[in-house]
Amino acid sequence: MNTTTQMSDSALVSLYIAGNEGAFEQLVNRHKNKVYTTILLIVKDSYTAEDLMQDAFIKAIHTMKGGRYNEEGKFSSWICRIAHNLAIDHFRKEKRSPVITLEDGSNVFNTMSFAEDSIESRQIKEDTHARLRELIQTLPQAQREVLMMRHYAEMSFQEIADATGVSINTALGRMRYALINLRKKMLKSNIAYDTNLYTE
Amino acid sequence: MIQTSTQNELIQYVYDELADDACAQLESAFLQDSELAEGCSDLLMLQNLLDGALKSPNERAVQNILNYSKSLSLQT
Repeated sequence: MNTTTQMSDSALVSLYIAGNEGAFEQLVNRHKNKVYTTILLIVKDSYTAEDLMQDAFIKAIHTMKGGRYNEEGKFSSWICRIAHNLAIDHFRKEKRSPVITLEDGSNVFNTMSFAEDSIESRQIKEDTHARLRELIQTLPQAQREVLMMRHYAEMSFQEIADATGVSINTALGRMRYALINLRKKMLKSNIAYDTNLYTE
Repeated sequence: MIQTSTQNELIQYVYDELADDACAQLESAFLQDSELAEGCSDLLMLQNLLDGALKSPNERAVQNILNYSKSLSLQT
């Protein structure tokens, strides 16, 4: 059994800085999905998102190996903030939001993989989650930003308030409206509100 | 009608950012106020759904990152 699997992020960072590549592998595997989803929800293209995810981790590698990593704050918030900033920079440069369609006509957002389930239930989950990601993208920018920073980048509401230059109550209010709007959109889009869908 | 301040506390509660004493107050309020309890339940369901919407990157992209890090280690 790998002894690094139960370690805190902070301990893994220290080990990695000391030269333990296995610790870094743990960190990447622990946070890759949140980093990738944070980017994907902004750039909307899976290939670009993978490139930017690599850029984000490479930036993190240089910071940590260069001895410039700041111990304050959580690793997850830090890496997701790097990812978020790279995605926003890319989005501003591109000034467009391409949606990649696969050869079979399906959207790339519909290509999720799940553990063993029946084909039918897997398809329902797949569709639900794909539509949810699409709905997140239709939220007003300020609400979408807070939702992604809190839910996927795991920043605290105070950190979000500081990063976006608003009060904590405004950040909380934006999150509240993001969730209310998301729920309304789900009901309007007839997305099943079935608790069985939520258990992995 | 749930007050705005309570709704903000609900958000902090489901994201585990509410102070212990405020948590205890809110939890006892759930017993008296079914609308509040239902609001909390809705938020928790949404939270779980958002977790499920996470998407995994291609393994090749992950391997590129790990290889890059190892290649830097070899240089030093």
